[in-house]
Amino acid sequence: MKIVIQREKIAVMAALLLICFSATAQDFSLLRERMVRDQIEARGITHEPTLNAVRSVERHLFVPPERRNMAYDDGPLPIGHGQTISQPLIVAYMTELVNPEPHHTVLEIGTGSGYQAAILAEIVERVFTIEIIPELGNSARELIDDLGYENIEVKIADGYYGWEEHGPFDAIVVTAAAENIPPPLVRQLKDGGRMVIPVGSPFMVQTLMLVERRGDRVLTQSLMPVNFVPFTRGGR
Amino acid sequence: MTRRLYLSIGFISSSIIGFQLALMHILSYIQWSHFAWMVISVALLGFGASGTILALAGRWMVRKIDTVLPLIMIACGVTMSSVLPFAERVFGTFDSYLVFIDSKELYSLLLTYFSLFVVFFLGALAIGLIYVAYVQKIGSLYFADLLGSGLGGLASLGLFWAFYPAKLPAVMGLLPIVAAALILPQKKIRPMAAITIASLAAPLLLLLYPPDLKISEYKGLARALDLPGAEVRLERTSPYGHIEVVTADALRYAPGLSMSFTGDIPVNDVVFCNGDWYGPVVSWSAADTSHFLDYTTNALPYIITIPETTMILEAGTGLNVSHAVTRGATSVTAVEHNRLVTDLLKNELAPDTDSLFHHKAVTVKNLHSRSYLLADTATYDLIVLPTIETFGGTSGIHALKEQYLLTREAFLNMWERLSDRGMISVTVWTEEPPRNILKLLGTLTETLQEIGVEDRSRHLMAVRGWGTVTFVVTREALTDYQAENIREFCSAMYFDPLYLPGKDDEERMSYNILTDSYLFELADRIAAGGESAEEVYRDYDFNIRPATDNRPYFSQFLKLSRLTRLSDIYGSKSIPFLEVGYLIVGITFIQITVAAIILIIVPLFFIGWRGGYRGYTVLHFSGLGIGFMFVEIVLIQRLVLYFGSPIYAAAAVLSAMLICSGAGSWYSSRMKGGFRDIVRVTGLIMVIIILYGLFLTPLLLSTISLPFLVKIAFSMVIIAPMAFFMGMPFPLGLKSLSEHNRSLVPWAWGINGCLSVISTALALIIAVEAGFLWVMALAAVAYGITMVANIWKAA
Repeated sequence: MKIVIQREKIAVMAALLLICFSATAQDFSLLRERMVRDQIEARGITHEPTLNAVRSVERHLFVPPERRNMAYDDGPLPIGHGQTISQPLIVAYMTELVNPEPHHTVLEIGTGSGYQAAILAEIVERVFTIEIIPELGNSARELIDDLGYENIEVKIADGYYGWEEHGPFDAIVVTAAAENIPPPLVRQLKDGGRMVIPVGSPFMVQTLMLVERRGDRVLTQSLMPVNFVPFTRGGR
Repeated sequence: MTRRLYLSIGFISSSIIGFQLALMHILSYIQWSHFAWMVISVALLGFGASGTILALAGRWMVRKIDTVLPLIMIACGVTMSSVLPFAERVFGTFDSYLVFIDSKELYSLLLTYFSLFVVFFLGALAIGLIYVAYVQKIGSLYFADLLGSGLGGLASLGLFWAFYPAKLPAVMGLLPIVAAALILPQKKIRPMAAITIASLAAPLLLLLYPPDLKISEYKGLARALDLPGAEVRLERTSPYGHIEVVTADALRYAPGLSMSFTGDIPVNDVVFCNGDWYGPVVSWSAADTSHFLDYTTNALPYIITIPETTMILEAGTGLNVSHAVTRGATSVTAVEHNRLVTDLLKNELAPDTDSLFHHKAVTVKNLHSRSYLLADTATYDLIVLPTIETFGGTSGIHALKEQYLLTREAFLNMWERLSDRGMISVTVWTEEPPRNILKLLGTLTETLQEIGVEDRSRHLMAVRGWGTVTFVVTREALTDYQAENIREFCSAMYFDPLYLPGKDDEERMSYNILTDSYLFELADRIAAGGESAEEVYRDYDFNIRPATDNRPYFSQFLKLSRLTRLSDIYGSKSIPFLEVGYLIVGITFIQITVAAIILIIVPLFFIGWRGGYRGYTVLHFSGLGIGFMFVEIVLIQRLVLYFGSPIYAAAAVLSAMLICSGAGSWYSSRMKGGFRDIVRVTGLIMVIIILYGLFLTPLLLSTISLPFLVKIAFSMVIIAPMAFFMGMPFPLGLKSLSEHNRSLVPWAWGINGCLSVISTALALIIAVEAGFLWVMALAAVAYGITMVANIWKAA
């Protein structure tokens, strides 16, 4: 009798958990839809594959559990080791800037929690991503495997050298910028390929920089500063 | 008893100032230094709060002073030693970098305020209680207080060499316990002695087992240490900061490197100071014929001519020094204020840099660069300044740093040090919206205007890469041949000429494209000078007017009058991320002022709102609180420049000032001490302040090249008379007040404390907005208020 009661209790608790979980998942889905509408589309991101990718990737899974309730907020979030998961707008803007196409192979430097790689993997054929901090790289790899992304490959290494055996790449996304742009990365960019780099601290104003290889020439373009809130240059 | 009481007050005063310095040292190391300043400013309100408590419970405390006073001192010592590990354990690890994105951090910030506040409160409560109880002897007690503070400041510098930062609070925490031991009551000697001995356990344990200082994961040091295989290979502590040298396989430094560079960027060890990046340990060899800086915009002066004699200002770890030597300079003068860093490079790190700082061409001078410029008489073919800002911008976190190297007068000094073919070179990181570039261009243009250079376009040139712009000012007019060389350099490096004779808009964006060309439009208007530049300074949303020695805040770009407009353009939440440094001062000022008003008003509910001497107390003691701090801050600023060594100068000046003020206070105890005496003294102080405001800077500049010891003696002669008289009005005021309404003495102590704290933030705001001369003028006004209050009562 006691065992039966225990079992019933567990069943009720499990049901409650399930209800709670599905309610939460539903909430996250709503939040995600709102994030795309208010934070991304409203600020001029129009690239349909990017919008679809941001709509479908469950951002809250890439955020540390204690900050999951902030996953769809309009800002970056700490993921440990001094790293962040970028603000949704930055992720979408960077994705749009490299103009990803289904047949593309993309290299990402700085896997972090794996969110940017997941967004790219929704659009392109292959994503190669390199993370220098083993703890971050391993947990991102685990999560990416759990979510079933077979077109993402994670390597724990120094991103400076790129990933020569899989290059040249149609696009390179550098998520953590440094004072220099490593020459090996420039070399691994296809002719006509694009590299995007956010310049500045994730907690401050960031300016996105686009690097394009055109034959022997390498051009850079400083784009608008981006921040937590709509950042236009009107009125200047 | 009396002699021991004087010693006791001296000990506790020295512990408070020592703890404040140690706290600044530690918080700057583990957190963002601006927050360190804010946290400590708020915590210092403990001084004001002690007055409030004394006003409310002073009578009881005075009755029980034999027991209460040593117990307060003991509590102060115990909390002082253990507050940091306690706060970390109880409140978790607060991270100032996350304050703007996570409201939970605000609670941690508040709790951090509170825990530190308690220490200052207890220390100030002990001093205030002594003043209230023995107000007749206020002159000599205040002397002991100030003498203790002065000596405490000096002794702290020695302790900074001897102890690692984590141990400093425990060392300081011993002093209040010693202060208590000196005044234990004879009646209850056994239990009190037992408590005193037991309380030593906290500082001694923390000295033996100091807490781990967990630095913010967003500081450069923490991020470097996260790299695989990273480790601290060398560690030194000193008043110049806590220096750590980190080695890791992935640490490379090549700022703004050209996209045309195809070689390998070498791996460097990196020097960190207080957890912040200080410079790479340059992988350099005397046999090198090329340098990676040849592939950056920094190479611009070497394209124009080959300099033989070079001066590198704020040389840091020697990156620009190695570049100059590689480019064939026969004499390189490296000026660097951080002696510990140059000592490391000359000794332990010499093998890594092929003994760069021992190279026959290199001479190292350990001084602040501007002071060296003022005192130097040699001439140079090239003067190189350190790179302005950091990669990606710092959103104005250096807004409140006095940068005497980037003022209009500094560039005039540099011009005077140039040989006939001399050049000044300065590189700046680009940022959006552009601020540093425009302010620098304005400064250089005004410098050339003031010198009387007519065709400025032949004397000022600039080249822009993907991340940096290098400006070069030349004494000789640039020839067409040299301009052509610069164009070829740009083409080879994928750089664009920003300022060059014969430039056109198209060539300004050949390789590095901007979303729009407004940077060029603004730059051209500034370079045109005169009314055209004036219009840009006036209309631009950021303050890009050149900095001067009177307002040496090059990195302060926020215009308070444009806050609303910036909020309209960028959104109100963006502003902290654009110009956070100055805003923090504003936020601190508001916090302190609100809290101070509460602390000043609360006692009135208990001691009554009406009655004799309330108005006098407010006017007299707030005037003194403001006046004293304003003068002190300006004197420190001026003398830091004079000596060229910020830490020692600040300590020497502060200590001399406190000791001389103490002497004034001691002398005042012999005076009759009525309102008329105070009127005379404050009138004299006002006259001295006005004279100093007018003549101090020219006096210091005319003697800056004298030998160091002569300068020390000269500065003491300057400081002594003013400080001596400034030490009098506070004890004289307390004494007069006690004769007429003794119950207001604790309240007066609180008002003085509150206003002193407010004044530190207020002086900064005034200096930024109007300049140091105004701070001095307002100091005179503050003393004027005190004088008026006393004229009123004397009448």
